[in-house]
Amino acid sequence: MADILFSIPGIINGRILGFILNITIAALVYYYISTKKQVYIRRVPGLDAIEEAVGRSAEMGKPVVCSFGIGGLTYWTLAGLRILSHVARLSAKTGSRLIVPTGGGDQSLIVRPVAEEIVRTAYILEGAEDQYNPDDLPFLSGQQYAYVGGYIGIMQRTRPGSVIMTGSHASDAMNIAETSNAVGAITITSGSYISNVAALACASDYILIGEEAPAAGAYLSEDPAQRASIRVQDLFKWLAIAMVVIGIAANSIGNDLILRLLST
Amino acid sequence: MAEILKNRQLQLVVMALSFLMVFLPYFLNIPALNTASTKLITITAIVTAFTVALAVIAQFRRGMNIINRRSRGWYFKVYMLVTLVLMLLFSLMGRESGPYHWVMYSVVNPLSSVNYGILAFYMASTCARAFRARNTKAMLLLLSGFIVLLYQAPLTGAFFPGIEPVALYLGDTFGFAAGRMFLISVTVGAIVFGVRVIMGNEPSVLGLGGEE
Repeated sequence: MADILFSIPGIINGRILGFILNITIAALVYYYISTKKQVYIRRVPGLDAIEEAVGRSAEMGKPVVCSFGIGGLTYWTLAGLRILSHVARLSAKTGSRLIVPTGGGDQSLIVRPVAEEIVRTAYILEGAEDQYNPDDLPFLSGQQYAYVGGYIGIMQRTRPGSVIMTGSHASDAMNIAETSNAVGAITITSGSYISNVAALACASDYILIGEEAPAAGAYLSEDPAQRASIRVQDLFKWLAIAMVVIGIAANSIGNDLILRLLST
Repeated sequence: MAEILKNRQLQLVVMALSFLMVFLPYFLNIPALNTASTKLITITAIVTAFTVALAVIAQFRRGMNIINRRSRGWYFKVYMLVTLVLMLLFSLMGRESGPYHWVMYSVVNPLSSVNYGILAFYMASTCARAFRARNTKAMLLLLSGFIVLLYQAPLTGAFFPGIEPVALYLGDTFGFAAGRMFLISVTVGAIVFGVRVIMGNEPSVLGLGGEE
């Protein structure tokens, strides 16, 4: 690691830039949300396609399968739950049967009641509480591959019109996405780690890559202020790109300024 | 008391304080905060363990409910509950040997391995569908995939020594760069998501629907 560029008393050396960036991101998100600034945000095809997928299922009279991952309450799972809430409302609105396979890990036992509450709330908000069936949120297993077996079984038996698989899935993601494709469902997935992304991109009709899934809450919100917070992500991605380009150029001519800045 | 605990503002305050207690000691050199953070993490681990236990009990009750109603597939719930109780009893006898060890290492793990092995066929069918040279980009992707595939295959190094440096170059430059890009984008997304959570703009955290 290169020498640090500067130090600030009280802040641990090597973590100063990280601290400043975190505070800046928080301040910018607060600014965009509180000022309700109207900003342009790019479309996310994977999230836009959810409505089309649920609508197609309703037209075909087939169920919608939506899962939020096999992990505990991580940000991937929370993003998956937000998408589940959206799917549940669309399903309640269109009268489609919604199946939510749960389980896959010990921690998933904690998430299940939260998911149950989210789906029930969505049905209540759409005035379709009578359509809500807790048996359509089966707990398949605390074991990853037993869960996959159950998930695939559900898809083979019910032949869903769409499968929306978000949250943190590991190697099980490919089994689910490929089976979904085999049963002719519109497949929307999110890759929670890099090794999964390439495989899921091949197996799915739409994929949420990188920060698109965590941004779902704001993106799907009707509130323009919430959506504006996504702008911060784009700004920081541009900053990262600029740092990478300048860093490569500077390092190539023997200047270690960016390296030292990143070490700060 | 239950009403106070369900208060959304209170939940957000607790969440924000917990966040600060873990976030700040990572950056700031304050020993008292470090101690408090370590204690909070220990408390969280204990609470999580109890939450899992509670969730298992809730699952048990749900299963019993389905059995009593004789809902569709109720006999699978009987099987699940019986195995749940049996595994609990087995684990109390010891996990390194005895029936628990046997079930895990002779039944669960081999079955999981079989499922994992099947993944190869899923990958093959996905690749067969996706890797078609429809245009120049797809052609490049196909070529790169073929080179990496050959490199991974046994004996390729012996017969085609020129493949190895090309495959390593593809992985170490393009693959690595894409991985870093993914990491940066996910990290920024996670921080923005976290800020929205603390500001109470992510209702899914509290088990609520979308636009409450």
